[in-house]
Amino acid sequence: MRRVYADNNATTAIAPEVLEAMLPFLRERFHNPSSLYAAAGDVTRAIEHARAAVAALVGAAMPGELTFTSGATEANNAALRGAARARPTRRHIVTTAVEHPAVLEVCRDLEREGYDLAVLPVDRGGRLDLRDLVRALRPDTLLVSVMLANNETGVIFPLADVARIARETSPDILVHTDATQALGKIPVDLASLPGVDMLSLSGHKLHAPKGVGALYARRGAAVRPLLIGGHQENGRRAGTENAASIVALGRACELARDHLPHAADVAARRDRLETALRTAIPCLEINGEGAPRLPNTLNLACHYIEGESILNELDSAGICASSGSACTSGSLEPSHVLRAMHVPFTAVHGSVRFSLSRYTDDADVDRIASVFPGIVRALRRISPYWDSAKDAPRPDAPSMTAAAP
Amino acid sequence: MAWEYSEKTKQIFMDAVHGKPGTHMGEIENADGFGEHGSIVCGDALRFTFRVAKDPADPLGDVITEARYLTFGCTSAIAASEALCAIIEHGRYTPVQALKITNRDIVDFLGGLPSQKIHCSVMGAEALEAAVFNWSVKRGVNLDALGVRLRMKDEDEGRIVCKCFTITEPYLRRRIRELNLRTIPEITAALKAGGACASCHHAPGGLQDLLDETWGRADTVVKDAPRPPDPVATAPAPADLSPFQFMRRVEQVIEGAIRPLLQADGGDLELVDIKDRIVYCRLAGACAGCAGAQMTLKMMVERTLKEQVDERIRVVAV
Repeated sequence: MRRVYADNNATTAIAPEVLEAMLPFLRERFHNPSSLYAAAGDVTRAIEHARAAVAALVGAAMPGELTFTSGATEANNAALRGAARARPTRRHIVTTAVEHPAVLEVCRDLEREGYDLAVLPVDRGGRLDLRDLVRALRPDTLLVSVMLANNETGVIFPLADVARIARETSPDILVHTDATQALGKIPVDLASLPGVDMLSLSGHKLHAPKGVGALYARRGAAVRPLLIGGHQENGRRAGTENAASIVALGRACELARDHLPHAADVAARRDRLETALRTAIPCLEINGEGAPRLPNTLNLACHYIEGESILNELDSAGICASSGSACTSGSLEPSHVLRAMHVPFTAVHGSVRFSLSRYTDDADVDRIASVFPGIVRALRRISPYWDSAKDAPRPDAPSMTAAAP
Repeated sequence: MAWEYSEKTKQIFMDAVHGKPGTHMGEIENADGFGEHGSIVCGDALRFTFRVAKDPADPLGDVITEARYLTFGCTSAIAASEALCAIIEHGRYTPVQALKITNRDIVDFLGGLPSQKIHCSVMGAEALEAAVFNWSVKRGVNLDALGVRLRMKDEDEGRIVCKCFTITEPYLRRRIRELNLRTIPEITAALKAGGACASCHHAPGGLQDLLDETWGRADTVVKDAPRPPDPVATAPAPADLSPFQFMRRVEQVIEGAIRPLLQADGGDLELVDIKDRIVYCRLAGACAGCAGAQMTLKMMVERTLKEQVDERIRVVAV
C-alpha cells in the first residue's frame, strides 16, 4: 500500500542533504565549540556558517541577530518573556486569537502575572481586521505578537501592515512574529519588514531535525535572555551549542531558499487536491477560503462527521493527516483556531488538515483524492444527521450555518 | 498523541464503518425503543433504536431481538455504539434487563478504552436508557414502580452544573458515586462535565463541591483564580484642547473639509481611531486601490489636519 505523508505542518522528514551535513558533528566533529584547540574552532565556524544561512533565508541584516534555540517554542517564550522583563513598566500585550499555543499560552501566563492582554479576533476566512489592532494599541503597549501564517489553516497575516502600524504608533512597541509555518513556504524578508523586531522559527518544519530553532531579534531590540548560565550565543542563550542540529538547520535553510522559486508547484498540487475533493464531497467547508494562504496547506471541514474517525480511516489507508477535532486534541473542545473563525458547529468537529511538502508528488495527491471521498461517504452513512440515499443532510439535522460556541 | 485503542476497538470500528455483515449500523423504522444522546455541538451524538419480540401477556417479557445505531463521533464512540448493540443482541435481554448493561461492560467488550475516551462508553449506556424509557412509555410499563431510576428524570429535575454540556446536579451526584469518580479530571473524562469553559470546577455548588460532599475533602487540584488586570493607563491630554475637544475637532475637519474632497473623486475616508495625536484612518472607495493612496493620506489628510487642528498630528493608514 502506498504511504502518503500529508502532515508537514506537524513535522517534516529530514532532508537527505541535511542528514548528511549534520552526521559528522555527531561523529568525529563532536568538540565543544567553546574549547581552544583547532578542532573546536572548526565547529564554531560551522555554527557561524549555519547562522549566516538562516540569516539569509529570513533576510536579516546581520547573522548576529539570530540566536539558536531548542525550537520555536523556546524562541516564542524567550521573545515574549524577554521583552517583558526588559521593559517592566510597559504592561500591555496584543496578540491574535489564532496564535499557536506557544505564543497564546505565554501571553495568558503573562496576563496571570498582571499584564493586560488584547486578543484580536479573526473573521470567517481567518483574516485579521487591522482596525481591531489600532483600537487595541495603548500608550503602554509592550509588544504585538502576530504570526506570519497560521499552522492549521495556512492563512497568511498582513505582517508588514501590522508592523508598520505599530511602528508608526510608537517605536517603543515591539513587534514579534512566529514565522514557524511560513518559513520555507513563502518568502520572508526582514529587510522589507522594518517594523518587525523579533521572529521565531523552527527547524523541524523545514526538513531539519526536531530540537532546533532560532530567535531573530533586531539589533538594539530590548530582550533579556531566558536561559542564563553561560556565555554562548553572546550571552543571549546559555548552554553548549547543539552543533549538529544547528548545522542541520543551516543546511535546511539553504535548501529551503533554493526551493522557494518552486513553491508554485506545491500550490498547484494543493489546488488540484482542493478542487478534486470539493467536486467529490457535498457539504464541505474550505477553512481559510478567500484569504491568502500558504501554498501547502488545505484545511477542510466535513459537515456531520467527526475528524478523529476520519483520521483513523485515513491512517488505515496509509495516509497521515491531522484534525482540529476535539477528540484528537486530548481536550473536549475543538481547535481554538477554527472556533475563532466561527466555523459552523456541524463542521468544526469534522476538520481535516492536509499539509504538503516539496517531497509530495502527484501520485500522493491522487491517492488522497481517490481515498478521501469514500471515507467521508462511509462515515456519513453511520451519522445520525445524514441521508445517504440522497447524499444530503437529513431534514431534521442542525443547520450548517450556526457558528460553533 | 497516537491512538491508544485496543486492537479489538480498532477492528470493531473498521467493521462498523465498512458495514461488515453482522454489524449494527442503521436505524430501525417504527422502533419499539428509540433513544438519543449527545449532540453535534458536543462532538458526539448517538441515535439508538431497538425492536422487541413482544410478549402478548406481559410487556416485561418483551425480548430485544434487534438493536441499531447511528453515531456522529470519534473511533471509540462508533466502536462503543457497535459494542452496545452486539452485547444487547447477544444477551437476548428484556429492556429492563438491558439497563443492567453499564459503560464498564462496553469498555470490557472493547478490550479497554483510553481514560479520556471513557465518556464514549457512557454515551452508549445513556442512549440505551433513553430508548428503554421510550419503550416503557409505548408499552405502558411504569419503570418508577419497578424501582428503576433513569437519567432523564435527573435531567428534568436538576440544577444544571456544567452549562457547556448541560449536565445536572442529581445526575452528577449519582454518577460520581456509581463510577467512583474522585477528581475533576476523572469527572470530565467520564461525563464530559467541566471539559469546556471550566467555570463550574470551583464555583459554589460546582464539581469540586460535589466531590467534597460525596467523598469528603479529596486530594484534587485547586486552580488559582486569575488576578484582575491592572487599571488601564491612559494617554495624557493635550494641553490646549481636552481629549474630547481634540477628537471632535478632528472629526469636524474630516467631515467638513476632507471627505467632501475625496468623495468628489469617488473616494472616501473612514476614521478608525484617534490615540493621543495619532489619527488612524483608512481610504475607501476609489482611493482604496489607488497607487497614490499613501501619498494622499500623508499629503492631503495629514496636512489638512495639521493646519486646522494641531501641527503635531500624525496620520497612520490602516
